[in-house]
Amino acid sequence: MTLSRRKLLKACGWSAAGLTVAAYTGTPARAGILPVLPPRSRPGSREASAWVSLRPDGLVQILSPRQEMGQGVSTAFRQIVAEELGVPLDRVLLILPRTDLLPVTPSTVGSDSMAEYSPLLARAAATLRETLRSRAAKRAGVAASSVEEAAGGFRLPNGERVGFAALAQTSGRVVTAADALPGMVLRSMSGPEHPRRIVGRSVPTDRIEAIVGGGEVLYAGDVTRPGLVEASLVRPPQLGASLRGFDDRPARLVPGFIAALPLATGVAVVAETRGAVERAVAALDARWSVPDQPVTQKAVDAAIDIDKHLLAGSLEHSVLRQGRLGSGQAPWDVDLRVDVPMAAHAGIEPRCAVAEFRTNGSPRLEVWTGTQDAFYVRAVLADALGLSEADVVVHSMRLGGSFGGRTICTVELEAAQLARQIGRPVKVRWSRPDEFQHGFHRPPSSHRIRGRLDAEGRILDWWHAFASGHVIFTSAAMPPLLQTVTSLVADPGVGRGANLPYAVRRAARVEFADVRLPVATGPWRGLGAGPNVFAIEVAIDTLARRAGLDPLAFRLNNLDASQARLRRVLERVAERAGWAGRPRAGQRRYGLACGVYKETAYAAVVAEVSVGRVGSAPRVTRLWCAHDSGLVINPDQVRAQVEGNLVWGLGMALGEELQVRDGRIGTDYFTDYALPRFSDVPAMTIDLVQGGEAPSRAGETAIVAAAAAIANALAGDRAEAVRRLPLHGQRGAG
Amino acid sequence: MIAITLNSWPQTVPPSLVNDPLLWVLRDHFGLIGTKYGCGIGACGACTVHVDGEARRSCVTTAREVAGRRIVTIEGLAQSGALHPVQQSWIAESVPQCGYCQAGQIMQAAALLARNPHPSDAELTRVMDEVLCRCGTQARVRRAIRRASALLSRAPAGSLQEAGRDALAP
Repeated sequence: MTLSRRKLLKACGWSAAGLTVAAYTGTPARAGILPVLPPRSRPGSREASAWVSLRPDGLVQILSPRQEMGQGVSTAFRQIVAEELGVPLDRVLLILPRTDLLPVTPSTVGSDSMAEYSPLLARAAATLRETLRSRAAKRAGVAASSVEEAAGGFRLPNGERVGFAALAQTSGRVVTAADALPGMVLRSMSGPEHPRRIVGRSVPTDRIEAIVGGGEVLYAGDVTRPGLVEASLVRPPQLGASLRGFDDRPARLVPGFIAALPLATGVAVVAETRGAVERAVAALDARWSVPDQPVTQKAVDAAIDIDKHLLAGSLEHSVLRQGRLGSGQAPWDVDLRVDVPMAAHAGIEPRCAVAEFRTNGSPRLEVWTGTQDAFYVRAVLADALGLSEADVVVHSMRLGGSFGGRTICTVELEAAQLARQIGRPVKVRWSRPDEFQHGFHRPPSSHRIRGRLDAEGRILDWWHAFASGHVIFTSAAMPPLLQTVTSLVADPGVGRGANLPYAVRRAARVEFADVRLPVATGPWRGLGAGPNVFAIEVAIDTLARRAGLDPLAFRLNNLDASQARLRRVLERVAERAGWAGRPRAGQRRYGLACGVYKETAYAAVVAEVSVGRVGSAPRVTRLWCAHDSGLVINPDQVRAQVEGNLVWGLGMALGEELQVRDGRIGTDYFTDYALPRFSDVPAMTIDLVQGGEAPSRAGETAIVAAAAAIANALAGDRAEAVRRLPLHGQRGAG
Repeated sequence: MIAITLNSWPQTVPPSLVNDPLLWVLRDHFGLIGTKYGCGIGACGACTVHVDGEARRSCVTTAREVAGRRIVTIEGLAQSGALHPVQQSWIAESVPQCGYCQAGQIMQAAALLARNPHPSDAELTRVMDEVLCRCGTQARVRRAIRRASALLSRAPAGSLQEAGRDALAP
């Protein structure tokens, strides 16, 4: 079956999966057989009116519908609200998603916060301002139009000032916005005719004092409760292993040991202190059944081998079909195979959750966790523990890095089940090996790209076929039945970014197969866009070399008027990096790539790569990026996101790879995973384009161009392109 | 029972905890939650504290091993209510993204500058290579350390040795 490009781009995340699955099976998601996939629609102004309120103490409070994980959303949201209400930034507080306070909201994914939430938030804040103006007018018995804004409140026609605090106290309760008023100007989102005080300014990230000072409760692991006990799990030692039994007698001798309890994910060890947990885990003797045929890397590679898929016929999902790629044409000018391996999120914070189960009165479960999706966690917990959703409260704690890795419910369910069984609050921590072995990863993918050129060096035909493990329909959160059901539907995460921004003169085909792999794969920063745009941009550079054209000239030559913003970032990065004078060969060489993220954000990157002696690894010595994510709320935070994306692209290009070894993921610690280190990160020059368009997205944009720019630099002026990632171990010809 | 000096205050670690990783003793017994768990084998640096002024990985150091020593955590770095120059520089350069590794980064940098207020690029890189950040803040970390280095050259000599004097007793 195929999914049109339009549907593919519209389909987004769990809500789409939930709706699609329900449509295919005719079964509501809560029937007990299928897991909970809450069909949540995107919020509108009614939900948004609950996001901003004036508290009785005169402070403005944001109930954030989006989680903070370092992307800076809490800073930008506070800036927008402060701008609309005309208050200083320090008068605006922000509370991360709490399921008992906030209307149901989708997960924090897709770099959607500025693009889709900030206009709603701005409107809610502006509506609150007008509600307060009306209240001030009514109290003074004057017309609302005669009440002017003054710092932190209003000025009446007689000159008297009315502060927000006084207006809040009138009712003695929190004031929220009424329905949005038509025709209201959003000063945080308007053009230069409305000068802004706070939006567009660089202010340091929210909670920075707490981060650099220590001592404040920010992350899930920092939470403590009276009577709290600690827990970890002894987990399957191999992919596909299952528990046969365990002997906890040696563990019982450990002072502080409380219990060893089997859960679906392993044997939980509960003790009074973390040290006691670690000793009891070491002492516990668990026995496992392992599969007769262990999972191998070879089997994973074979399952996604694109050439094998193509031999078997056309691929199941189509992204783009234009014209006919007829037979009997001239040979392909480029026929390239590109392979991208499995990779880890590797956030520095391993996941952790605290759960407290109260039984006096009606049962009530409270959970503190770092999650991208508090409402999904709530739904899973309510379902699993037989509670109503109203009796489950999920407190989102700041995330110590997530990058798509905290979109499902894992540690929260373990903590909740233990809290109920033990009868005390429980903190479950995943270890670093747990993260590598039992988290989910960027799926490996395999690409075949073929292209033909016309005599003017324009793309005549284009065929990109690829196979990948799943992204949205992750087996990390889906039981076998649902995996089977979703095998009929194109995984929208796999296809992201595969749509070619360049014009194709004659025929184009973009198609893919999503493959159920024996390793857990799922969303990773940028979803399919990282690997897909990487493969595309490597192929584009190869076509440029084949045409004998400069990589920049070739790209500009193949972009039509609909891609004016992509063209602009290409031109700007070329100017900043002095592209025209930079060599494509030799020991210090330069490469270029660009890309579009979710049709709304644009990046172009130039990489300077040093290729040393024979056998030494290439080094990235400088990066330039021109970036267009529309209106910028906080330039410094957008720069930080671009820097992060460039470093991720560098890691993706140079060293990051997970492999299956001995029937398990072959990495337990950072010592076996090549994260970019301090010495790997070069100087970065970032040019933010601000052309007056609406705010779009910065959290996953530059990654699409960074890895390919590095690979293209390494390929240099050779016809041969980089064929597989990571690049370490491969050497450019000097 | 062992005695330590923790952020300038005398403290004792109960016998049941002396063989536990210092990380958990700091976090769960003394409530000093600024020091973070990242890997448990001393390979990421998120748990870095100072022991007698040197950067140490508290996840692979037992409480017994630091008996009688001076320990400073991120909470003890500020003095007289003023942030340490490294912390000030971290804010000036707006270094953190998710923030989780940052206490370890700051402690590693502060120990480096206490030993050598003006490290060469090679030394700075060698020392900071031992602390991981997944968000990609490394370029800002470098700028912040250079800024702190400049601040320190204006600060009265010896003031670093007093770090932690005014931190609240846990």
